[in-house]
Amino acid sequence: MMPIWTKSGKKHAVTLLKVQDCHVLRYISKEESGGKTSKLLVGGKNASPFSKSESAMEIFKEAGVPRKQKVTTFNVTDDAIIKPGTPLYAAHFRPGQFVDVTAKTIGKGFQGVMKRWGFKGQPASHGQTKTHRRPGAISTNKAAKVYRGKKMPGRMGNIYRTSFGLKVWRINTKHDIIYVNGSVPGHTNCLVKVKDSKLPTYKDCNKNPPFPTFFADGDEKLPEDLYDEEIFQFTDPSVTYA
Amino acid sequence: RISSHGEPAKFQPPPKPVIIDKRKQREERRFLSPEFIPPRGRTDPFKFYIERKDMIQRRKVFNIPEFYVGSVLAVTTADPCANDKVSRFVGICIQRGGKGLGATFVLRNVIEDQGVEICYELYNPRIQAIEVLKLEKRLDDNLMYLRDALPEYSTFDVNMKPVTHLDHEEIPVNKLQVRMKPKPWSKRWERPKYNIKGIKFELPEKKMKEAQKWSQPWLEFDMLREYDTSKIEEKIWKEVSEELKK
Repeated sequence: MMPIWTKSGKKHAVTLLKVQDCHVLRYISKEESGGKTSKLLVGGKNASPFSKSESAMEIFKEAGVPRKQKVTTFNVTDDAIIKPGTPLYAAHFRPGQFVDVTAKTIGKGFQGVMKRWGFKGQPASHGQTKTHRRPGAISTNKAAKVYRGKKMPGRMGNIYRTSFGLKVWRINTKHDIIYVNGSVPGHTNCLVKVKDSKLPTYKDCNKNPPFPTFFADGDEKLPEDLYDEEIFQFTDPSVTYA
Repeated sequence: RISSHGEPAKFQPPPKPVIIDKRKQREERRFLSPEFIPPRGRTDPFKFYIERKDMIQRRKVFNIPEFYVGSVLAVTTADPCANDKVSRFVGICIQRGGKGLGATFVLRNVIEDQGVEICYELYNPRIQAIEVLKLEKRLDDNLMYLRDALPEYSTFDVNMKPVTHLDHEEIPVNKLQVRMKPKPWSKRWERPKYNIKGIKFELPEKKMKEAQKWSQPWLEFDMLREYDTSKIEEKIWKEVSEELKK
């Protein structure tokens, strides 16, 4: 995470996400998947092909791509289908657009009710016998049962969570890095899924996105760094207030 | 001249002049700002490389001088609330924290009997200028104990003239021992965990011996805490100096 300053002098914290060898693996049509839209399987970071069975490696062989550590699905409209085997780059996103980031949260193991659900616990003194971090009462008398989904101690973390509506401040096309506002679930160097935001406030945010994606061998030659309009670039002189 | 012996004294040739080659001495001193050194951890070194590129970019446009904890600095920042939209603060640097773009330094001064500490970010674009009024080092890395010292040690004239420092000379170490206000202090500075050499403790012997009870003499031999930065520093110094010369 890094600080970033706007032209008005405000500081924002930013997470760096690197797009490492992403390829489209397979196209699943609407009828095949049974959903409302067709799907595209996309694979992430490269990994060794020797520790997986032959049947699992079939998908990668078909696409002609080395084995990927993570495979995710994206719901795609019919006009945005991409041929399997095309690489995906960070330039697929543009500064100023909003993004949702999904990842597995840091696993905390078996945790008690105070850390897992934020319960208040009991006082440290004034006569409490062996009760300082316990849940207390778990149901009422009339119910005569404990409801399903009652918050109790258990394994915490290591589940998929999404942070919605994160602004993209800057994109480095040379090293494929996306600078995303705020924090992102997961530990450092973990695998992360980045999608265009589904929030209704940011529906019309992206004016001219590269559609269906940014092709490296196409005609567009992008500069090494793409900045949002409000960012203070370090090549400019210091900020002054008129 | 009358010599002490009866015979005339032997001819003593005049002492040879000592030639100091200033060019060689200047090359020997390399200063790498502490925020360039990456902390020990599991982050990808590539992230530090990207951050360093941004830091070097900023340094090319804006000069961040060399300074240490204990030197007196004057910082002018752009301030939307001030009359001239510019505010200037003079103070002694008591602490340098943070790594990378978020590196900070805290300046302390006593203005009209009120102690003021301001934490500035080195790479904040609102900073217009950083001038080093007096470049010197002190016996400690962290001068937070100045809060509990007598106010005369933290007062610096706001219109102080910058003290010239020649390039080839070594940075002077001010071996000042500071006198403290009576206890209670904000932290127990006599304890060995803070390892402070710059205070003149006027506590009774008994208290000093009791403070040594909290010493952890095994810490300096702990191998897991070792972090040898010499090679990393050299690499980064080469990289940074090459980029800045361009």
